[in-house]
Amino acid sequence: MKYLEEVPMNLILGMDIGVFIAWIGTLLATVLCILYGLYYQFIKKSDEKQRPTSPKEQDKTQEEDL
Amino acid sequence: MDILFFVISMVLFASIFIFLGYLGYKKTKTVEDYFVAGRKMGALLIAFSYGATFISAVALIGFSGIASVYGHSILWLAFLNVFVGIFIAFVVYGLRTRKMGLSLNAMTLPELLGNRFNSVKLQQASGLIIGIFMVAYTSAVFLAIASLFQVTFGIPYWLCVVVFTLVVGIYLIVGGLYAVMWTHAVQAIVMLVGMIILMVGIYTMLGGIGPAHEAAAGLTPEMLKSIGSPAATQAPNGLTSMPPVLSQPFMMVLTLIFGVGIGVLAQPQLITRYLTAKNEKALRLAVPYGGIFILLMTFTAFSIGPLCNVLMYQNNIMYPTKEVAGVMVANPDAVIPTIINELFPSWFILIFLFAILAAAMSTAAALFHTAGASIGRDVYEKSLKRKISPEKSIFITRIATFAIVIATLIISLNPLDVVAYMTAFFFGLMACTFLAPYTLMLYWKKTNRTGVWVGMLGGFLFTIAWYILIYFKTAPKIIGTPLVGNYMINMLDPIFIGLPLSFLLTILFSIIIRQDKDEETIMKTSFENI
Repeated sequence: MKYLEEVPMNLILGMDIGVFIAWIGTLLATVLCILYGLYYQFIKKSDEKQRPTSPKEQDKTQEEDL
Repeated sequence: MDILFFVISMVLFASIFIFLGYLGYKKTKTVEDYFVAGRKMGALLIAFSYGATFISAVALIGFSGIASVYGHSILWLAFLNVFVGIFIAFVVYGLRTRKMGLSLNAMTLPELLGNRFNSVKLQQASGLIIGIFMVAYTSAVFLAIASLFQVTFGIPYWLCVVVFTLVVGIYLIVGGLYAVMWTHAVQAIVMLVGMIILMVGIYTMLGGIGPAHEAAAGLTPEMLKSIGSPAATQAPNGLTSMPPVLSQPFMMVLTLIFGVGIGVLAQPQLITRYLTAKNEKALRLAVPYGGIFILLMTFTAFSIGPLCNVLMYQNNIMYPTKEVAGVMVANPDAVIPTIINELFPSWFILIFLFAILAAAMSTAAALFHTAGASIGRDVYEKSLKRKISPEKSIFITRIATFAIVIATLIISLNPLDVVAYMTAFFFGLMACTFLAPYTLMLYWKKTNRTGVWVGMLGGFLFTIAWYILIYFKTAPKIIGTPLVGNYMINMLDPIFIGLPLSFLLTILFSIIIRQDKDEETIMKTSFENI
């Protein structure tokens, strides 16, 4: 592929810095979402069990616990 | 591809959704069931439903086409889609919206606003705005998908529109939000499969991430011109580089990124998803699922768009064109379908068509449901000024939804020029109208009815005026010449001015005019569990 010889040298994974930040930023934002989910799944205990938002929900929570 | 095989697959596909509509009908017993799926949804269903609603066929086909013109700089929108559209949306808005929705017994965005500020008129006005503009937006979604099927299979446009509307209309009206969310799960899986194969296929053809991007970077304007790609002029620094600051391509990318990237926070059809959560944990756990889903949708679509230029150059395929007023112009919407038709096996063409169909159906169903609820529950039911039974409430909304489905069908069969601009219109309009009142309602206790009225209408009127008088895409079609000729202004999405204006007006009038006693009492109830 002849045209590859003309690729500019200051590229990261073929992208300039502005595009690369967007590219890596999207991946990092997804990692943030995953870490957030993992934190609330395995580390942080739910606030809601201690502080239900409505009486109806309190009943639901109790049912779920059962 | 064999049309008969496609038709049989399509019938099976539609049958699954209609069956889920029937199951939704059996499960729908209360008003909450119809409007917010009984507030019983778990993390995965919320994430899939939110993602499938968010990502329409326009986002997959249209935006990857746009990426083929402006290059990878559009990846900033993918970043905002994940960070703002999922993380900020769920963590900053979703959790509070659900709590406030429970405290105020609200099931729609207009109802949340109306109950929070003790104003039926506020609920009706916002319901009317959502209902009217959502019909036009849904027509735009239909228009895009029906045109694609017409081009690919030669199936008449009207037949596509009628079949598509009937299938979505049936399962939605019958099954309510249960049916919508269950079908969303199926549609999301189809979309995931389609996009993953597409991404892997294209990167494999080009030798992996680095080589693929380097190949795109190496395409000179002359090479792009030789295949007829508009990227030759619209990506002046190359397909994998940012355009020069404040140049026309830069302004275009900027307006797309912020218009859609920030506008997502105030979409009524997405806000409904927060209200369906069975508990706070379900919303929190929807964040990773949603993040991964959006990554695989928009990040994939925006990454492969520019690479299509490389594939076209390597395989001697010309950039697709269409005829506009007797002149052949570049047609970015046809880029992905062209690449798939030319370079992928026929079994994948079928999968991809179903993925696009799923994307369009899921968005249309969510829009119909929200528009039906806005007109039926927020506008008509509130105008009755008396308490009605839950059965009657659901019946009214079913009738309203049916009317909206028919209205959309009529508009789609006789599309006006303005319909095509609704996709650009809608996100910005909803953001400038609702985002400021909605944000301040959730976070600022002093927000009051007057402030919300002024902020909402100020943002709404400003946006409409901007689209009619100034915005480069819409103003020339409406008034001929935009009032402002400078592209740095007329290419700006109204969100850049309309949103701060709406915030300013809401805050200013909430300070000037104090809350009355009823508002104060309701405000305390609203924040009780927050």
